[in-house]
Amino acid sequence: MAAPDSPSAALQRRDLCSRGIRLAGKMRSDVVDLLDTYVERQGLDASASVAAVEGVPVAAAERWDEQTGTQRLLENLAAYRAFRALLAQMLEEQREQLGEADAALGRALAAVLLQVSAFTYHLEELLRLESRGPPSEEAAGPPPASHLSLFERKLRGLGVLRELAQWAVRSTRDLRQLAKPSPGSSSDPSPAESP
Amino acid sequence: MWKNSSLRCLLVLAILCLSLIYSQEIGSLRHSQNLKCLTHNLRKMICTWDVASRGRHGQTDFCYTTNDLPPSMCFKTKEKRVEIPVPESSTTVTITTNSISGTALTTKEFEIQKKDISFVPLTPRILSLTPDFSTSTLNLKWSDNGSVFPYGLDAFWQIQILRKEAMEKVTQVTYYSKLTHEDIILSWNWTSDMPLECTSHYVKIRCYINITQFVGPKDWSDWSPVAEVPGKDTEPHGSGVFPEDTVVAVGSDVTICCVHEEGQQIQRMTYGPEIYPMIHLSSRSSAIRVLNASASDTSGTNVVCILSGDEMDGTVLFVGYAPDVPQNLSCETSNFLIIKCTWKPGRPSGLYGKRRTKYSLFERISGKNVSCEVNEMNRERVCGFPVLADQKTYDFVLGVSNPIGQTESSVMVDLTQRVHPKTPEKLTASGNSSTSIHLHWFINGSFAEIRLLCQIEISSGHTERKLHNVSMPGGKFSVYTAQLNTLHPYTKYQFRVRCAAADHFWRWSDWSRVEEHTTLEAPPARGPDIWRERSPSGKSLKIFWKPLSLSEANGKIVSHEVSCYLLESPLEYKEVTEPSNSTEIKLGKNDCVISVVAKNHAGSSPPSRITSMELPSDNVKTDRAVAMGNGIYISWNSYPNVTCGYVVKWCHSSGSEPCSVDWQKFPSNTTDAVIKSALFRPGVRYNFSLYGCKSSGYQLLKNITGYTKELPPKRAPNFTVEETSSDSILVKWEDIPIEDCQGFLEGYRLSFAKGEKDASKPRLSESGNPELKVKNITDLTKKSLKILDLQGKTSYQLDLQAYTAGGLSPPNSLYVVTKEDSVGLIIAILIPVAVVVLLGVVASIFCYRKREWIKETFYPEIPNPENSKALQFQKTICEGNKTLKTLEMNPCTPNSVEVVETRSAAPKIEDTEIMSPAADTTAPEDGCDSETENHVVVSYCPPIIEEEISNHPMDEPVVSSQVVYIDIQSMYQPQIKPEEEPEIDLVTTAGYKPQMQLPISVLKTESRLSAEEELDKTAGYRPQANTNAWNMDTPDSPGSVESNNENASFGSPCSINSRQFLLPPKDDEDSPKPSNIGWSFTHFFQNKPND
Repeated sequence: MAAPDSPSAALQRRDLCSRGIRLAGKMRSDVVDLLDTYVERQGLDASASVAAVEGVPVAAAERWDEQTGTQRLLENLAAYRAFRALLAQMLEEQREQLGEADAALGRALAAVLLQVSAFTYHLEELLRLESRGPPSEEAAGPPPASHLSLFERKLRGLGVLRELAQWAVRSTRDLRQLAKPSPGSSSDPSPAESP
Repeated sequence: MWKNSSLRCLLVLAILCLSLIYSQEIGSLRHSQNLKCLTHNLRKMICTWDVASRGRHGQTDFCYTTNDLPPSMCFKTKEKRVEIPVPESSTTVTITTNSISGTALTTKEFEIQKKDISFVPLTPRILSLTPDFSTSTLNLKWSDNGSVFPYGLDAFWQIQILRKEAMEKVTQVTYYSKLTHEDIILSWNWTSDMPLECTSHYVKIRCYINITQFVGPKDWSDWSPVAEVPGKDTEPHGSGVFPEDTVVAVGSDVTICCVHEEGQQIQRMTYGPEIYPMIHLSSRSSAIRVLNASASDTSGTNVVCILSGDEMDGTVLFVGYAPDVPQNLSCETSNFLIIKCTWKPGRPSGLYGKRRTKYSLFERISGKNVSCEVNEMNRERVCGFPVLADQKTYDFVLGVSNPIGQTESSVMVDLTQRVHPKTPEKLTASGNSSTSIHLHWFINGSFAEIRLLCQIEISSGHTERKLHNVSMPGGKFSVYTAQLNTLHPYTKYQFRVRCAAADHFWRWSDWSRVEEHTTLEAPPARGPDIWRERSPSGKSLKIFWKPLSLSEANGKIVSHEVSCYLLESPLEYKEVTEPSNSTEIKLGKNDCVISVVAKNHAGSSPPSRITSMELPSDNVKTDRAVAMGNGIYISWNSYPNVTCGYVVKWCHSSGSEPCSVDWQKFPSNTTDAVIKSALFRPGVRYNFSLYGCKSSGYQLLKNITGYTKELPPKRAPNFTVEETSSDSILVKWEDIPIEDCQGFLEGYRLSFAKGEKDASKPRLSESGNPELKVKNITDLTKKSLKILDLQGKTSYQLDLQAYTAGGLSPPNSLYVVTKEDSVGLIIAILIPVAVVVLLGVVASIFCYRKREWIKETFYPEIPNPENSKALQFQKTICEGNKTLKTLEMNPCTPNSVEVVETRSAAPKIEDTEIMSPAADTTAPEDGCDSETENHVVVSYCPPIIEEEISNHPMDEPVVSSQVVYIDIQSMYQPQIKPEEEPEIDLVTTAGYKPQMQLPISVLKTESRLSAEEELDKTAGYRPQANTNAWNMDTPDSPGSVESNNENASFGSPCSINSRQFLLPPKDDEDSPKPSNIGWSFTHFFQNKPND
């Protein structure tokens, strides 16, 4: 991919990256707060280990430092699209199960969903700047949760939020990596850091 | 009757006979026995028998006859069981056992009575056992097989529930039904206290049919085969925590189980935060039992099953309440389109979201039902129901349900009596009148069928809030109009409106928003209140008027027209624009009638008139007014000539500006008034003038002065001292200006006392000086005062204060010193001098005349010891006078004086030793306190003739004889241990040794001596004089002079109890100077020349 950056494109990318980093930082902070609220309101044990939940993207990556910028963006985009769907599902379940009883939790969830949506849009913009364009969104969405018991849904929500917090960290690093000026292409892998 | 009784007798006999025979053998058969018959359906019976033969046998011929069927029925059978019809009464059975070859071996005949036939219903068969896992309910279905039985039989079904692999009985119930001669499928539900998934459940059933007409024995059927509902623990991969997401009522007992896969172990199970003990169900299933469950959180209570390998599974239990009965259900309409029903939900269910309490509104008359969307968090619930055409009365039932239960509440309403209009909108005011306006508003609703009552609230800044009710026919989404009259001109009004149903009042609507409107101006309602004053020169007249109140002005006053008429012809005209409230007219010496008219934009007020004529008055008195509250009370006598009232006029003065005139008018019958003004200040004197209005003009009747409140004078009068003598002071003071008095002056207060000028001194009145004298001067004309009886040449402090009813002013102070009294001083000096001189002359004459006697008595040639008072002490003291204290001689000290001549080997003792404690140890016991004695140091302190000191140089060796006070030596020697304290202070360590105390110079000169020698000198005896001197003179005589300074202090009087001189030298302790040591009383009395 990727022709060498024009100065204006490089500037724009750097600007988008720095704004994305700020957004990811805020998102992480809010998700951490939301996690505390979620654990408390759902009556869960904060130290409970949650097995990998189906459909929840994992932030850990093998050979992270060998990834190209585009790969990073694509993985991020896929993850945040998944989170967007999962959070929307959580919000819907929250309304269904609790109605207006726990409005604070619902508001916090909605706020994080909004940030995830914004970040997704941000990633799509970055991908457009890479003259690649974002891949089309699969209509499938997250796996249906109807077969899950309420307890399993609570645990899945916990897993989603924990993983989202991880992703916020990874995205920050990915964007920092992307913001570094590269001589040839922005998609060149760079050594060192790993998430 | 007879027939019936004979029939009964026959029946009894038959039963008795039959009872004697049971399966009575007719023939003697040896091999067939124990024939038993039972029926399941009353039509056929199954008979079985035993064959005793041991050998093999072939087929059996079975024949039976019944009473009603004479020909016997026979058939061959290989079994020992046949099914034959149930006889009506009895049957005879012949059983022939054949050999294999077919020959008959034995034949046995039985007679079977109907009573011998048992009735056992057919074993029931379970048609289905269906579990409902969500409700932990088992549904059992079976057929009652009723078609084979007559109609109406009672059937009892015993059902057993079993659980776990071991089939432990959980419960057994009996179900009752009636047979209807039809095969009916019966159904029975059982709700388990444990989720059905937890472990396998089993059910079996048997029945008993109560056929009363059947005479034979009846029994329960056999148990049906068990039907099973397998638990999850029987499924190969079945796992989970059950029940799943269930709702239970608060206070329920709940069993929750955890089913896991083979090979796993349950570590613990928690309900909420608590760990519960587990109940073992199977190898793959355990349960916990929660008793009396309490309400759960909004998100439910988590039940978690922690498995080995850090895995977990769980479920959520929602514990809440069944819905409460809705309270205060009320329905009303605000627009005749929607009926709004409200209620209070009562106790919250604790269940939310999809488990929340749901409401539905059912109207019985129309049969319409609507479901209500309510906000769970709102305290008051609302549900809307559409208004139906041509229906006035509505009978509502509010249905309430949640997963735990349901309830309802109902109300019936006549809609026309439940109208609560919406808030009026778009309120506007219009009108171009000064006293009336039109108000318009809109109400969203169709009120065509009723009349509306609307309430208009009218308020303005200076009037009280008023309510004005208007009734009007209702309309469909109409604008309503109301007219308001009797408003005040030029007034800003605030209006707001609310409405209700007029005929059947139910509730007011909310108030509309406030609309403001100002009415137009109108001419002022009356002329202004006016007054006039002639200038001091009398050539001009000043006219004053008071501004009209808002309610009188009816608009904004723009000017006042002032005219002066003399007999209807105008002399002068002036238009004075606002804000001026006075004007001046040059009249000269003329008089006229002044007319003042106030004008606003709408017109002019009626004129106010006053004559300029002032009638002469004489002997005008000035009275004092009395303060009353925040005003001033003035009163006057009734003046009969006054026909058109009184005017009280006064003047407000503020600072440097000329005072502003104010007045108040009173009718003719008034004789007193309280004048009040916001401008009145306490402590300010106001002068009021009372004018009487007569037909010809105004006349000054009297002047009045007063204060609203009297205060203490601001300052004291200035005063000076006019004259001062040795015993009097004349002071004079000045008047205080009226403005500083702040009240009516009542007097002065002059305080005086001795005192120097000192800034830190408090005021006299506050000092508490006992010599303070106060003079109160109440005569205000007095301006001076002479203070008498003072001391000469003494400083006095004088404080002068003025006082009113409000209190004392701060003082003015002066310090005055009275003059010296010179004559007295001279007399005071001369008299003592004269007395002294006179006494000296008398003493000289006396001494001269009695000189021989004095010499004989006081200075004999040879002193007689017996005449010595010092030597008489012992006698008196030792006689028992223990009260001797200071300055008394020690009775126990030696009173013997031994005169030692140090040069001679055997000193000559002039005086015999009378008594010595050293010599006679019993001496202290002779009535003397030994303790006191020990402290008594000086027994005799003869005077020292220091004249001799100058005769003998310091370094001259002591060669003269010494007077030895043995007693002193014996007392002090044991106390002094030279070995232990060789360098000890000789004065302080050796006790009190006045005789031995040496001057420092002496100590210095003798420093070469050994300590022992020093002690000998210091602690030991020291002669008062050398022997020569002693021999020549008596101790008291000037001749007995101590040649050495070491005994310079010997002549001092000494205290018995003290070791110090009673009159010690001033610097004795600090620096024992030799000169001080030599001080003694003898010096004083003997008046030594060197002093």
